Amino acid sequence: MIEVKDLTKDYSGTIVLNIQELSIKEGESFGLVGNNGAGKTTFFRLILDLIRANSGFVKSKNVDVKQSNDWKYYTGSYLDQRFLIDFLTPEEYFDFLGGVHGLSKGDLDKFYSEFEEFFNDEILGKKKYVRDLSQGNKQKVGIAAALMAKPEILVLDEPFNGLDPSTQIRLINLLNELKKETRITMLISSHDLKHITEVCNRIAILEEGKIIHDLKTSVDTLKELESYFAV
Amino acid sequence: MIYKWFLLHQWKEMKRSSIWQKNLAINIVLGFFILLMLMYLLMFGLFIDKILYKLFPDNDPVVVFNGIILYYLGFEFFLRFFMQSLPTLNIETYLHLPVKKSSIVHFVSGKSIFVIGNYLSWLVVAPFAFKVILPAYSPAVAWLWLLSFALLVFSNNFLATYVKRQLVNNPKVVGIFGVILISLIILDYFNVISVSAFSSLIFSELMQNPILIIIPILLVIFTYSLNYFLLKTKLYPEEINKEKKSKIDSLANIKYLKTLGFTGQLISLDLRLIWRHKRTKSLVYMAPIFLGYGFLFYPNPGYEDNFGFMIFIGIFMTGGMMMNYLNYCFGYESNYFDNILANYKDFEKYIRSKYLFGITIATVCYVLTIPYVFFGTEILLINTMTYLYNLGFLSFVLFYVATYSKKRMDLSKGATFNYQGMGASHWLSMMPAFLLPIFIYLPFRWMGIPMAGLLFIGALGLTGLLFHKSLLNIILKQFYKRKYYMAEGFRE
Repeated sequence: MIEVKDLTKDYSGTIVLNIQELSIKEGESFGLVGNNGAGKTTFFRLILDLIRANSGFVKSKNVDVKQSNDWKYYTGSYLDQRFLIDFLTPEEYFDFLGGVHGLSKGDLDKFYSEFEEFFNDEILGKKKYVRDLSQGNKQKVGIAAALMAKPEILVLDEPFNGLDPSTQIRLINLLNELKKETRITMLISSHDLKHITEVCNRIAILEEGKIIHDLKTSVDTLKELESYFAV
Repeated sequence: MIYKWFLLHQWKEMKRSSIWQKNLAINIVLGFFILLMLMYLLMFGLFIDKILYKLFPDNDPVVVFNGIILYYLGFEFFLRFFMQSLPTLNIETYLHLPVKKSSIVHFVSGKSIFVIGNYLSWLVVAPFAFKVILPAYSPAVAWLWLLSFALLVFSNNFLATYVKRQLVNNPKVVGIFGVILISLIILDYFNVISVSAFSSLIFSELMQNPILIIIPILLVIFTYSLNYFLLKTKLYPEEINKEKKSKIDSLANIKYLKTLGFTGQLISLDLRLIWRHKRTKSLVYMAPIFLGYGFLFYPNPGYEDNFGFMIFIGIFMTGGMMMNYLNYCFGYESNYFDNILANYKDFEKYIRSKYLFGITIATVCYVLTIPYVFFGTEILLINTMTYLYNLGFLSFVLFYVATYSKKRMDLSKGATFNYQGMGASHWLSMMPAFLLPIFIYLPFRWMGIPMAGLLFIGALGLTGLLFHKSLLNIILKQFYKRKYYMAEGFRE
């Protein structure tokens, strides 16, 4: 589904990302862990063609993401609050994105009913602009927006950040159900090692821009990760 | 001293701002223009007595000059209103520290004395004081006169920042101001009152009674306190935010835009963006000022023959608002630019929607200026031609330049302390596009066929309109080239 080759990115001489080769198969849930500055967000931005690589490429369904807009039709993403249009109400925002993705009124209603539990009555019908929501609720809007067009590829950067404990569990359940019911390919980064092992069946550790471990998730994975990050 | 730190931080912020990181060529050209302007001002100051003598041979140049000063201050006030950025300080960084609140407020209130506009007029006034007043009166009088002028300029500065700051919170204030000014002009026009006689009276009194210098001093203190107390009541971030909790408007439901598909959706998004941020909303409230510009000049005979100046007015009136939109259209969206890049599939429509919205704004402005035909049919002709120029030429220039925006504009922050990126440097960099039609027109006038020059300007615009598809394509390509740079700048 996603092929990465010789991908490097440097900022004024410092290499922040250097991935020789990486391939993520359809249906795989790929977790990315690493300390601050390891290059997680940079990697995701490259996948979404938000920054220009110094060399190499990211191919999505065998097409270079730089060369075409095709990947946007099947990729849902939420990296940070920069993805939210904060002067809209959540409804207006979903409505707008529905238009961008070409969803019908029926699709939108279905989306609302599917996410009713996730929103926990804190998002819709509140007569508030997104900018007036709390951090956690903004995060909910962003994650839901990434999923609304039923993407084949989902990219989430630290989705658990800022969510209350119940919503974290709801999100884990939601992602696991998606995994079971669809062929969705997920790329998720997190600082929470436990959560990521619960969601992802493959986990890579990024350090100084390089993937230094690429693990298939098993019962021992959490321990391995914890021992790696132990100080 | 906390002020030392404030100053240091501000200095660093300015030095490290991305304004200076434009390319070298632009900075050199700008620097050259600035130097040229300074030279002109100085020359003007050195020879102003000769000019006044030529214009009013029967009057004492000092009396005439004194008569102009109030007019000048009024003019300067408006100039400041448009060009001067509000002094800002990121107060939240300091509020939680053991810093006296009054120090913060004093700093923000007083900061505007560093604005260069406060000192530009000295280039004209100081030569006059020493060359004309000093020999005719005495050095003491010359210094007194100069000092009181400088003080008046400072109070003007504080008054302008006060009004501008008020405008952010209460747009009606500027309406009242406009009404007062227009009625003053009208009253002067019909000789009911004479501002110039009043002005020269004040200053001749002042030159005779040095003690009167107390008045400008009090004025400075008064206007400064206006700022001080206004800011003091607004110091709590929650108070700034409180006003933000506005009702939800129903702008999303404009039927007509829904029929336009994705393009309409994008325009509707931009409409809401403008309407739901104080900063952009205050620009909408400024529209009457842009459109009322003609009232300042059209009633005066003498301008009629000066097409060159009228062209400038025409461009400004029909294109000023469009410029406020097109030139910032990407910067306005800097908060969610990553979303745009990651989700929009059809950037052709994206670019088109911005252009359409821009020229719609210009069209509305044009229609609103049609009543000026009352002052002469040639005004309608000029405004029509400049309108075409704006649609087919200026719009593309602005749009193209917009792709070079790299500065994040945080519209969602309360506007009281937030006016970044809207100062003189921005206006200055747009000057060439505004002045070009005048340069086109002048040769025709020298050849004695001014009408042909006008038509040429309109034709230039029409050509641009005819080829708008290819021109938009160029901008689309440019957008693709620049999008990473813009996104990077907006993320900062």
